[in-house]
Amino acid sequence: MNLHNIPGSIVPRRDLLKSIGGGLGLLGAAQAMAADSSLAAGGGADGATHFAPRVKRVIHLFMNGGPFQGDLFDPKPALEKYAGQRPEGANLRTERPTGGLLPSTAKFTPAGENGVPVSDLLPNLAKHVDDICVLRSLHADNPNHGPALLQMNNGTILPTRPSMGSWFLYGLGSENQNLPGYIVLCPGRPVRFSVLWSSAFLPAAYQGTYVNHSDLDPSKLIPYLRNEARDPETQRRQLDLMQQINALHRDARGGDPALDARMASMETAFRMQTEAHEAFDLNRESAETREAYGEGHYANGCLLARRLVERGVRFVQVYYGNGQPWDTHSKHNESVKKLCDSIDQPTAALLTDLKQRGLLEDTLVVWGGEFGRTPTTENGDGRDHNHHGFTMWMAGGGVRGGMTFGETDEFGFRAVENKVHVHDLHATILHLLGLDHEKLTFHYGGRDYRLTDVHGRVVTEILS
Amino acid sequence: MPSLARSLVVHGLALAFVSWVIGRSGELRGDEPAATELGSMPTLAEIEHFEKRIRPLLHRRCFSCHSEEATIVQGSLRVDSRSLLLSGGDSGPAVVPGEPEESLLIEAIRYGGGGYDMPPEGKLPEAEIELLTQWVRQGAPFPVGDVAPLAADHAIDFDAGRRHWAFQPLARPELPPTATDLPPATDPGVASAWGQGRVDSFVLAALREQNLEPSPPADRATLIRRLSFDLVGLPPTREQIDDFVADDSPDAYARLVERLLSSPHYGERWGRMWLDLARYTDTTESWLDSTDQSHLYRDWVVRAFNEDMPYDQFVRRQLATDQMEETGPEDLPALGFLGLSPTYFKELQLPPEIIKVIVADEWEERVDAVTRTFLGLTVACARCHDHKFDPISHEDYHGLAGVFASTRMTLRPTISEERYAPVAKAKARVAELTERVKTLKKQKPVPTEEIGCLEMEIDELSRFTPDFDTPMANVVVDESLHVVLAGDDPQSGTKLEYRPEPQDLNLFVRGNPNRPGPVIPRRFLTVLSDDPPQPFQDRSGRLELAEAIVDQAGPLTARVIVNRVWQTHFGRGLVDTPSNFGLLGSRPTHPELLEDLAARFVENGWSLKWLHREILHSAGYRQSSEIDPAKHSVDPENRWLWRMNRRRLEIEPWRDAMLAVAGTIDLSLGGKALPGEDASNRRRTVYVTVHRREVSKMLQLHDFPDPNLHSAQRADTTTPLQGLYLLNSPLLVELSRELAVRLWREIPDEPVERIRAAHGLLFGRPATEAEIAVALEYLAAAVADDSAGSAESPPKAWELYTHALLASNEFLFVD
Repeated sequence: MNLHNIPGSIVPRRDLLKSIGGGLGLLGAAQAMAADSSLAAGGGADGATHFAPRVKRVIHLFMNGGPFQGDLFDPKPALEKYAGQRPEGANLRTERPTGGLLPSTAKFTPAGENGVPVSDLLPNLAKHVDDICVLRSLHADNPNHGPALLQMNNGTILPTRPSMGSWFLYGLGSENQNLPGYIVLCPGRPVRFSVLWSSAFLPAAYQGTYVNHSDLDPSKLIPYLRNEARDPETQRRQLDLMQQINALHRDARGGDPALDARMASMETAFRMQTEAHEAFDLNRESAETREAYGEGHYANGCLLARRLVERGVRFVQVYYGNGQPWDTHSKHNESVKKLCDSIDQPTAALLTDLKQRGLLEDTLVVWGGEFGRTPTTENGDGRDHNHHGFTMWMAGGGVRGGMTFGETDEFGFRAVENKVHVHDLHATILHLLGLDHEKLTFHYGGRDYRLTDVHGRVVTEILS
Repeated sequence: MPSLARSLVVHGLALAFVSWVIGRSGELRGDEPAATELGSMPTLAEIEHFEKRIRPLLHRRCFSCHSEEATIVQGSLRVDSRSLLLSGGDSGPAVVPGEPEESLLIEAIRYGGGGYDMPPEGKLPEAEIELLTQWVRQGAPFPVGDVAPLAADHAIDFDAGRRHWAFQPLARPELPPTATDLPPATDPGVASAWGQGRVDSFVLAALREQNLEPSPPADRATLIRRLSFDLVGLPPTREQIDDFVADDSPDAYARLVERLLSSPHYGERWGRMWLDLARYTDTTESWLDSTDQSHLYRDWVVRAFNEDMPYDQFVRRQLATDQMEETGPEDLPALGFLGLSPTYFKELQLPPEIIKVIVADEWEERVDAVTRTFLGLTVACARCHDHKFDPISHEDYHGLAGVFASTRMTLRPTISEERYAPVAKAKARVAELTERVKTLKKQKPVPTEEIGCLEMEIDELSRFTPDFDTPMANVVVDESLHVVLAGDDPQSGTKLEYRPEPQDLNLFVRGNPNRPGPVIPRRFLTVLSDDPPQPFQDRSGRLELAEAIVDQAGPLTARVIVNRVWQTHFGRGLVDTPSNFGLLGSRPTHPELLEDLAARFVENGWSLKWLHREILHSAGYRQSSEIDPAKHSVDPENRWLWRMNRRRLEIEPWRDAMLAVAGTIDLSLGGKALPGEDASNRRRTVYVTVHRREVSKMLQLHDFPDPNLHSAQRADTTTPLQGLYLLNSPLLVELSRELAVRLWREIPDEPVERIRAAHGLLFGRPATEAEIAVALEYLAAAVADDSAGSAESPPKAWELYTHALLASNEFLFVD
C-alpha cells in the first residue's frame, strides 16, 4: 500500500481521510485500510469497486432547459391524428397550462443495423445509432427547472445532497492527480448554478470544478491557475524555498503526515498549472479535429470533454449553454432546428473521436436534459416542461447500442413501459462504474445517505 | 467487522417502518386464524388455478418488492399472503375480495392514475391484468394457512430508551483515585500543573489506564499562539509574545486567558463556530421578500458570546425571544437561527400535492437543524418512520414539525411596534407613491411636474420619518402555513395560506404529506419528557420547546455544547459525533470528564467563559503537541490526550492571520459582509459574504461548510486547488508585497534582522541559523533583477520570500 510510504509511517484515519481529497477514492482508501472498520462506507468490495467496472469515466451532455423527445428519438404519429385536440391521456398537468397536441415537424428515418428511428434533425448522430441506447421512458418528479436540475444531478429536488459527480469521486477518486476529478463545463451559467455540482455533506474536495469555457484562454478556466506576476522558473524556485522552509519545520517536529500531505499537494498544484493549461488548450488539436467538431461553445465543450477524459478526469459535464437554451416555451420549432444543428455534428464527432482513440470502450456518454417537453402546445408554438416522460441516451462501455428501451404513451407524454426514473438512471451509471448504488453510502446526520436515496433499479436490460 | 450502519441502508423505510405499520394494524390481524374466515375456503380448482397462474404471476411481477423476499418491502405492502393483501400497506387494503373496481391492486396494475402505477417498470400485458382482475372478482382465493410469518411488533420501548447514557440526569462523578499520583510539573512557570484541576484528574486517569504519560508543557511562545488562535482567531503580536514570555508572575497565564476572553474578537471567533451549526448565510433566497440584513443575526451571536450570555438563555432567545418577557424588540435578531432557514422554490402553478412535499421538506429542515444543533439528536430521521436506532418515534417527529408548521419566516423591526407604526405607514405611502411615479412615467407627454412633486414627497418621507431606515431582522412569527388549491378547478394551482392559529400536523405516512395519518399534537420528544409528553399550549409552542430543550433535556443539551467547546479547543470532541448523541453516535472517550464538566457548567450558570477557563487552565490543554513515537504507536489518534493536537487553521483565522501580519487588517466589528474575492477587502473573514447558493470560491476551496446545512465539524481536506490558491491568488500576491513593505519599513538596513523579524511576526519565535541561511541563499539568487530596493518598493525577491513564508506549513498549523 503506497499509503504506508508516507513518512511517519502511521496514518491515522483522520489524516487518511484528509489525503483522499485528490486521488484515492473512498473504496480505494477503505481497501488500503482494510482493518479499519469505522469508515462508514460502501465497503465489502474486493477491488477498488464493488464489482468489475465497465467504464472508468463519464461525459454527461446536458441539454439544459429540456429537449422535446418527440422531435428527436420518440416519433409519435398520433400527434398528427389528434393535432389541436386534447384527448384523454394528453391532459397531464405540467408547469403551465397547455393546449392541444402539437405535431412535431421532424421526420424520422430508421437508422443503423436495427433501424432505430432517429430524427432528420440529427443526421450525423443517426450514423452512430448502433453505439447508442435510446432510453425513451425517463421520468422525474418535478416539472420546474430548479428542482429537476437538482434531481438530475443529486437525485432529489433539494439543494442539500451531494451531486452524482461528488459520489463518483467519493467512490472512485480521480485517475489524474494533476487535474480536478470532476469538471463542469458551461459557456455561461446553468440555472441554480453551483448547487448542481455541490458535494453537500461529502468532503469539499469532491465538489465539481466549474469552468466557464466561453473564453477559451486556458489560464482563465481553472481558478487561480496562473500567476501573472511570476514566471514558471521563478515560481519553481519559490516552491523549492517553500519546501525547504517546510522541511525544516517538519524535521523540528519529528515528522507529521498532515504536514507532508500539504507539501505534496503543493507540488501537485505546481504541476497542475502546466498540465491543466495543456489539457484546456484547444489549440493543441489538429485542424482536422477542430473541423470535425465544428464551431460553437457546445462543440468546444465536447472537444474539451474528450481532452479531459483522455487525461483521466472521472466526470465531465457539458452544459449546452448559458441559462436554459432548450427551454422552448415559444417558437419551439425554430429554436429546435438551431439547437439541433449546433449539437448534431459535435456530438457525433465526440463519439467518433472517442471511438477512434479507444476511449469509448471505457467511457460512458450520457445525453439528455433535466426533463422533456410536452406534446401539447403552449402559446400556440411552444412546448411546456414535461417530467412525466422524456428521452435520454447513453453510449459507450457496457451499454448495448442500436436499441431503444422503454416507451411513452401514444402521444409521448408519459412513460408507460419499462419506465426509467432518474434514480434508475443514477443506479445504472453507478453500476457501470462498478459501484453498487445501495452500498455506496455516506453516514451523515444520523443516517446513511445514497445517491439513489431508497430507490433505484439498475436497468440491466440495456447492459451489454 | 462491518458496522451496523454499514450493513443497513438507513434512510429507508426499511423494516422498522414496515413492522411499525404492521404493528399498528395489529387489530386487523390480531387473531391469525381469521385469515381463513375472511374468505370462503378455496376449492381445489381454485387452488390449482392459483398455483398455476396467479402465484407465478405475482411472484414474477410483484414479489421482488412486495413479499417476504423483498429486501425492502415497498409501501409496506406484501402480496404473498391473503391476509396481508387484505390488510394492505400504507394506502390501505390492496384487495377487496370480489370487487376489482375497489381494489387498489387492480387500479395500480391498470395504471389507473391513482398515484401508483405498478409494476413501475411498465404496464403488464392486458392478459395478465385480466387474470388478476378475474381472480379478485372471484374473491381472491388463496390456499388456506398460507400466511407468511409477520415481523414482531417494533413499538419503541421509551423506558429502555431513557437509560441511554446521554439522557441520564447530570451528576458530578467522583474524582479518580490516581489524581493524587502525579508527575512533578516540569515548568516552574506553569502555575497549575497536572492534577490541580478536575479536568486533569480525569484525563490523567484515562492515560494511566492506557499506560501512557502526558507530554511536557508547551513553551510560552507556543502557548500564547495556541491560545490566541483558539480564543480570538488572531495571532498574537510580537509585543504580546515578548511580554508573556518574560512574565514570571504565577498568574501570567491566567491573565492572558482573561485578556483574550474579554476581547471583542473572542465573539467573532466563537460566534463563527455557532454560525456553522446555524447554517448562516448573508444572502437569502431570491424568492423571499428579503433583505440584506442577515448580519443582524450574526452580530447578535457575536455579541452573545462576548457578553457570555448564559447558554440556556442563548438557546431560548434564538427559538423564542419574541415570546419572552425579559427581552425586547432589540433582541429580535436572535430569531435569525430560524428566520434565515433555507427555503426551497415553490412554483405555485403546480398542484398542492407537489407544493406540500416541498413545504414538508422545509419543516424537516427546521426539525433537523434545531434537534441536531441543540440536542445532538437526529430527529429528522423519524419523518418517514420511527427512528431506526434512537427512541424517537414517527409521532415525536410530527410533534416537533408542528411547531415549525405554525411559524412563518418574516421581517420585523428591532424597535417597538408603537415606534415603528409611523414608519410602516410612511413606507406604505412611499411604496404607493413609487408605484404612481412608475405609471406616470409611461404617460405621454410625461407629466414631469407631477412626478417631481411625488418624488419630493418620497424623499421627504424617507428622510424625515424618524427610524425610516431602522434595521429589519429576519425572524419568525407564529402563523401556520396551509397549502391549498388556489381556486375551485383542480388545475388552478396552489395558494399558500398563513393563518393566525397554530396547527397540529397529521402524521405523514412514510413522510408523505399527501398521505395524512392521525393528528399529532405539538409537543416535545417522548424519551426526553415525563411520560407521556404534554401538548404545547402556548401559540406555536416555540417557547415551550425552548424551555424543554434547556430544562427537561437540559442534561443532554449541556453535554452537547460542552462537547462542542471541547472539540473546538482540542480539534476533536470527547464525543466525536458532535451532533449525534444518539445510540449510533460515538461514546465519549472520557465519560466522567464530560459528566463532570457538563454538571459543573450548569451549576456555573451555563457560562461558556467558565467552561473555557476550566479547559484552558488544564495541564492537558497546555501540553506540547510533539509526537512521541512510542506513545504514537499506542494511540496514533491521540484519543487519550497524551499530547495536544497539532491543528490546522480554518480559512477564517488563516486569512485573518495573513491580513494581520501584513499589517493591513481591519478589525472593526459587525455590519454588512463584503465579498471574499476582493483582494482589497481587509475585514476579518467572519465578515466575508456567505452566499447560500453560490459560496465564494475562496471559502469553498478551504472546507467552508455548505451554508444550506447544519455543519458540526469542518472537513479538513488538502487539495491541489488549495495549492493553486496559495501560489497564485491575488490576495496572497498582494499580501506578500505588503508584508515585504512592512518588514523593509521597520528594518531598512539589516537583511538578517529583517529575516528574524519576519519569523517573530509570522511564527512568534526567533529564526534558526538554518532558516536564516536558507533565506539568504534564496534572496541572493531568486531573481536576476536584484535592485537595492527601498521601503516603498522592496526587491522582488523579498515579495517571493514573504509569499513563501505566508504559504508555509508553520503559518497554517498551530502546535
